[in-house]
Amino acid sequence: MSDQRVFARYKANEIVTDLQHFGVKKFKSNTTRRKNALRKIIANLMLGNYGEMSLLFSELLKFWQIEDDLEVKRICHEYIRVMGVLKPQQAKEALPFIMDDFKSRDEKLQMMALRTLVLVPLNEFSEQAFDCIISLVNHKSPPEEVTRTAIYALLDLDEIDHERVLGLSSILHDIVRLQSSPPEVTVAALHTLYSIHEKNSNMESFRLSLDLAFNMLELLPELNEWNKATVLEILTTSVVPQHYLDTHEMIELALPYLQQVNTYVVLNTLKFIVYLLNYIDVIKESLAEKLSNSVIALLDKPPELQFLVLRNVILLLLSRESSLLKLDISYFFIEYNDPIYIKDTKLECLYLLADKETLPRILEELEQYATDIDIQMSRKSVRAIGNLAVKLDENSVNDCVAVLLDLLEFGVDYVVQEIISVFRNILRKYPSNFKGNVKELVKHTEVVQEPESKNAMIWIITQYSDIIPNYLDLFRIFSSNMFCETLEVQFSILNSAIKFFIRYPTQETEELCMDLLKGCTDQGNNPDLRDKAFMYWRLLSLTKTSRISNALTFEALKSVVDGELPLIEMNTKLDPTVLEELELNIGTIVSIYLKPVSHIFRLNKTKLLPPSPILNSNKDQLPIVCSSFSPTEGSRNRQNSETQSSTKSRKTAMMDDYDKPAEKINQLKGKRKSSSNNPSKLSRKPSTLLRKLSMKRPFS
Amino acid sequence: MSSSLFILDEDLEPLVSKNIRALPNLSSVLSSFKQCYHDSSPPILFQNDWFFIHLKRDYLHFVSVIHTTDKPNIDLMTILAFLEQFYHLLQKYFEIEVLTKNVILDNVLLVLELMDECMDFGIVQVTDPSIIKDYIRVKVNLPEVVVDNHEWSSDGESSSCNSRSSENEYSRKSSKKKKKKKKKGCKGKGTGRSKIKSIMINNKENKGVNVMETVKETLRNKSDTGKEPLDEELPNDGNDLYFNGDIAKTIIMPISWRTKGIHYAKNEFFLDVIERVQYLMDFEKGIIRKNLIHGEIFCRSYLSGMPKLKISINKILNRDPQFMSNSNFHQCVSLDSINTMEREDEDEDEEANSADSQVAATKAREIEFVPPDGEFVLCQYELKRHVKDAPMIKLKEFEIKPKLKKFKIQIITKIQTNFKPTNSTSKLNVKIPLAKLFRDYKIDLSKQIRFKANIGKVVFNLSDDFLLWEIQTMKGHRNNNNNNNNNSSQEDDPDTCASMVAEFSIFNQEEYDRLQEELKTSMNPPPLRTGPKLEELYRQVHDKHAAHVTPQDKLVAIEFEIPYCTCSGLKVEYLKVEEPQLQYQSFPWVRYKTISDEEYAYIV
Repeated sequence: MSDQRVFARYKANEIVTDLQHFGVKKFKSNTTRRKNALRKIIANLMLGNYGEMSLLFSELLKFWQIEDDLEVKRICHEYIRVMGVLKPQQAKEALPFIMDDFKSRDEKLQMMALRTLVLVPLNEFSEQAFDCIISLVNHKSPPEEVTRTAIYALLDLDEIDHERVLGLSSILHDIVRLQSSPPEVTVAALHTLYSIHEKNSNMESFRLSLDLAFNMLELLPELNEWNKATVLEILTTSVVPQHYLDTHEMIELALPYLQQVNTYVVLNTLKFIVYLLNYIDVIKESLAEKLSNSVIALLDKPPELQFLVLRNVILLLLSRESSLLKLDISYFFIEYNDPIYIKDTKLECLYLLADKETLPRILEELEQYATDIDIQMSRKSVRAIGNLAVKLDENSVNDCVAVLLDLLEFGVDYVVQEIISVFRNILRKYPSNFKGNVKELVKHTEVVQEPESKNAMIWIITQYSDIIPNYLDLFRIFSSNMFCETLEVQFSILNSAIKFFIRYPTQETEELCMDLLKGCTDQGNNPDLRDKAFMYWRLLSLTKTSRISNALTFEALKSVVDGELPLIEMNTKLDPTVLEELELNIGTIVSIYLKPVSHIFRLNKTKLLPPSPILNSNKDQLPIVCSSFSPTEGSRNRQNSETQSSTKSRKTAMMDDYDKPAEKINQLKGKRKSSSNNPSKLSRKPSTLLRKLSMKRPFS
Repeated sequence: MSSSLFILDEDLEPLVSKNIRALPNLSSVLSSFKQCYHDSSPPILFQNDWFFIHLKRDYLHFVSVIHTTDKPNIDLMTILAFLEQFYHLLQKYFEIEVLTKNVILDNVLLVLELMDECMDFGIVQVTDPSIIKDYIRVKVNLPEVVVDNHEWSSDGESSSCNSRSSENEYSRKSSKKKKKKKKKGCKGKGTGRSKIKSIMINNKENKGVNVMETVKETLRNKSDTGKEPLDEELPNDGNDLYFNGDIAKTIIMPISWRTKGIHYAKNEFFLDVIERVQYLMDFEKGIIRKNLIHGEIFCRSYLSGMPKLKISINKILNRDPQFMSNSNFHQCVSLDSINTMEREDEDEDEEANSADSQVAATKAREIEFVPPDGEFVLCQYELKRHVKDAPMIKLKEFEIKPKLKKFKIQIITKIQTNFKPTNSTSKLNVKIPLAKLFRDYKIDLSKQIRFKANIGKVVFNLSDDFLLWEIQTMKGHRNNNNNNNNNSSQEDDPDTCASMVAEFSIFNQEEYDRLQEELKTSMNPPPLRTGPKLEELYRQVHDKHAAHVTPQDKLVAIEFEIPYCTCSGLKVEYLKVEEPQLQYQSFPWVRYKTISDEEYAYIV
C-alpha cells in the first residue's frame, strides 16, 4: 500500500482510535492498522506536528510493553527521541522501557536504546547511559557493534559530564594502545579520544606516539572507507615525526589511498601528506605528480564535491610560492553548464594559476567568457583579466590590455563598463604605459551607468586631463546631475572638480568648482558629503587668504588634494600563520571561506603544526627532486620494504636510524633551543621518551 | 558530523528529518534554510548561526544542518561525500534511477532506518549498499502503477527514456542471459514507440508521465530480477535471525565488504568496461576543446564463498603512465599490490635490460581483490586523448545553405565513423539545433519540410527546435591517412559515411500576398490541407517564452553506443577466479562498450 495517505496532518484522537483497535482482538488486520497508525505518528513528527503528537505519549507506552516487532520498537524510540527534546518530563516515564530494551539480547535493540538514552537531554537519561557504557566495558566479551556505538556515544556525553568521560578515557587509551579489539572499535576509540581533546579548550591537543601511528597506518587496509578517512584525519597533527625517515615511511604508507574512489578518503590522504611535507627534507617529484593527479581526478565529481575540491585547490595554490601541484589549466576552463559557484571558483583558480607561460591560453579563454551570453560571467572574466594585468609583471600586462581593448570594440555596454572599472587599476599601476589608450576609453563616457564604472571614468578623466582636450565637457556629463548619483560618485565628482580647479585655475573651472561646492553644502543632505565640501571650501579659502597670512601655500594645497598616488598591488597572499592553519584544515568548512578557524568558530581551537626538530621553517625552499635521485637513507629503506613485509620494514627503519651517529642528536638539542616560538615541552617529551624505548626493540 | 539531516522536496518542505544532536526546534532551523536558499546557491550556506550543507539530486534536496558552536571545525568533506553516497544508497535500495517525492514518502521509515544504520551519532559508518541491503531488509514500498502512455511521450523524453531503458537492458542482459527473449520484446516496443512519435508537442505536461514510465520501467526490471540470484539462491534466506547475526559482524571484519557464507548455484562474474567519451569541438575554428575518456569497470559478482580474483589489464601491463596515475579503485582492491608494482617498475627502469626481472614484473602486474557481492564499480579512470586522435564519430560537414532565390534553406550534415570496421554502433543519434535557424530566417512551416538521408531517419522536434537524426547501426571505418584520394570513393559508402539534408522553406512574402489576394477574389474554397498544421503548433509552443540563445543551441550533439569496443584500447587480458576452499567452476564474462558522454558535441 502507498504510504502517501499516511503522510498528512492528523489529530491525536484520530490516531488514538486506530491504536485502540488492538484491545479488541488480535486480528491480523488490526496489527497492520496499528502499524499504520504508528506510521502516521512518525509522518506527523516529520511534518512538525509536535503539539498533537505529544498527546499520544501514554498510548505509545502501552505498545512498548507488548509489541516485539522491531519496526514498532524503532518507531517508539524515534518518538521518544523527538519528544524527549520537547517534553523531557514526559519522557522520563519511558525510561524503564528503554532500559528493558537495552537489557534484551538483540544487538540492534541495545544500540537503539543506547542512542535514545544519549539523545534525550535529561540527567536521568545520561546517568543511565553512563551506567550502560560502564556495564558494557566490564562485560567480558561485549558485542562489538554495541561497543562501537557506546564509544561514539561517549563523545556526546562529554558535553554533559566531561569529568566522567575523562575517567573513562583510560579505557579508550587502552583500546587504542593494545590494538587487540576489532579495527572498527579501535578507530571509534581513537576518534572519540581525538574529538574530546579537540573539543575542550583546556585540554592539550591529542598526540599519538609514532609507534601507534604506524600501527594505525598499517591497519588502514582492513578498514572500510569512512574509517580509513577518519584515521588519516586524526593522524594529521596528532602524530609528530621526529626524523625524516619517519616522514618518508608514513607518506609511503598513506600514498595508495590517493587512488580511492571515495572523495573523502582522497582528500584526507591529501591533507595528511601535505601535513607531513612540513617535516621532510626533499620532496620527490613522483610524489608531487601523484598529488596533482589525485586532485585532477577529484575534479571529475558531482558539482558540489567539485566545488569543495576547487576551493581546496585554491588553498593549495596559495600555500606555496611555487606551487607543489602541477595542474594543467585546461581543467579549470569553464563549461557552460557549470553552476555559478563552480564558475566563480574556477575563475579564481585560473587567476591564481596564471603565469608567463599559461597567460596566452588563459587570456584566450577569458576573452571567450567575456563575450559569453551570461552577463555575470562575462563581467567576472573581464574583471579577472584586469586583475591579471595588475598581478603579473610588466611584460604580460601588454597582452592583457590588448585583450581588453579588443573587448572594448565588442561594445556591449556592461563589458565596456567593466573594462573601464578595471582599467583604472591598470592605470594606477602603470600610470604612463597606456596613455595612448585613454582617449579610446574616454569615448565611452556616455555608456557608463554603474557607480563603480562612473567612478573609474571620472578618475580617468581627471587624471589624464592633460591629454584629453575636452575633459571639462566630459566631466560635465557627470557633474550636471550630480545629485542623482550615489554617494561615492558624488564624492569623486566633488574631488575631481577641486582637482581641475587646482590644476587649471581658470574662470571656467572656478565656476564649476564653486557651483558644486555650493550645491553640496546647500542641497546635499548627506552629512558626509556636506562636510567634505566644507572641508574643500575651507582649504581653498585658506590658500586664498594665505597670500597674506601664509597659512597654507598653494603647493601644500595641491599636495593635499592632488597628491601622488601610491602604486597599487594585488596581494593574494594570505598570512603565513593563517595558511599553516588552513593547510591543516583541508576539506573542512574553513577551507571554503579561506579564513582562520577562530573567525568562523569562536569556540574552536586553532590547529598548529606541532613542533618537531625536523619541522621546516620555510617550505618554499623545499627542493623537489626527481625520483631517480632519492635521499640517501630513503633508497636503502625502500629496497628493504620491497623484500620484507611492511611491519618489518618499520623495524629496519629503526635500525637504520639507530646506527646514525650521535651527532644527529646533538643537532636536535641545538635546534630545539632556537626553533619554534612556543615550545610546549609537555607535548614533545613523551614522544621522545617513547622513541627511546622503541629503539631498543629490534634487539630485545 | 551534522546536527540533523533533512530530505526536502522541491518546495523545501520536509519529507524526512532526522534529529541527531537533539535540536529543540527543527522547523525553525528549516525556515532559516528557506530564507537563504536560492536556485544557484553554493553547496554551503550560512544563516542565523546555522551552516547548511546541501545537495540537490533529482527533485530532492539533501540537507545537513550544523550549528556554529556544535563541533570543532566541521569536516565538510565527510558530509558532502556522505550525502552523495546516501543518495546513491537510496537509489540502489529503491532500484530507481530518479528519486521522487512519493518514493521517499512511501518509505519514510526505511529512510530513517538507513540513516540510523549509516551513522552512529552523526559519524558515518557504512554506506555500502550491498552490505546494508543484507542488514536492513524492509520491503521497499513502490507504487504499482499501470500506465499506457506510449503515444504521449514526447520526442526528447522518450528518447531519453529509451536510452535509459536500453541502459537498463544492457545491464540486465548481463545478469540474466535467459531473459534475453523478454528484452527483445521490450526493445521492439521501444522502437515502435519512437515511430509513432513523429511530431510531439506537449512536452511540458509529460514530465509526470515520464516519471511514471521510469517507475514502470524499474518495476518491469524488478519483476525480471525479482528472482535475482541473491534471493533465489540463498538457501538461508528465510532464516533471518541466523543470517543477520552473521552479517552484523561483517562490518567489523577485516573484509568489511563481503559477508561469509554466500552461495550461488552458478558462479558467475560479469565485468563490463564502459567508456564514456567526452568530446567538444569548435567546428568552425577546428579547435578541439575537449577530448576525454571517462572509463568505468563495472562488475557484478555472483560468486560463492570468499573468492579471490585476479584481473590483468593491458594498460597496467604496459604501465600506461596516464592510466596508472588517473585511476581510482574500489575499496576492495588492495592498493598495495598496484603500488608495489609501480615501485618495481621504477626499479626496473633503474636496472634496465635485465631480462629476468621482466618475468617477475608480469607476475605482479594484476589487480587482486576479494569482490563484494552484487554490483560494484571496480575502477574508475579518466584519460585524456591526444588532440590528433580522431573522434569516434566525426562530423565531416555541417552547413546551412540558404537558397534565397528559391526561398529554401538547406541543412547539410555528414558524419563519419572512426573505429574498427568489425564493430558497429548500436545506437547513433545526431541532434541538430534549429533555434538559431528559426531566429535568423523566417521559416515557413506551412510548407513541407523535406529530409533526405542515406541512412537512418530524421525527426523534427517542434517544441524544442531540433532535428533528431536517428541512424542506429553504422559500421566502423578507419581512415587511412596515406591514401586520401582513395577514400573519396569510400566516402559515399553509406556504411561508413552518413549524410543528411534537411530542407526548410523560407517565408515568401510575395507569394503569401499573392495567395491571400487570390483567396479573397476566388470563389474556390482554400486548398484542403491534411496533416498537422505545424506553423500553428509552432506558434502555440513558442509564444510563451521569449527566445533566448542558450549555448546548447549551438551544439550538434551526437549520442552513440558502440559495443565490443573501447575507445582507449583497454583490454582485460585475463580474469582468474580462485576460491581455495570451494573450488567451483566459475563463469567470468567480460564485455566492452563505448558510449557518448552527455557532452559529445560540435559547436557550430
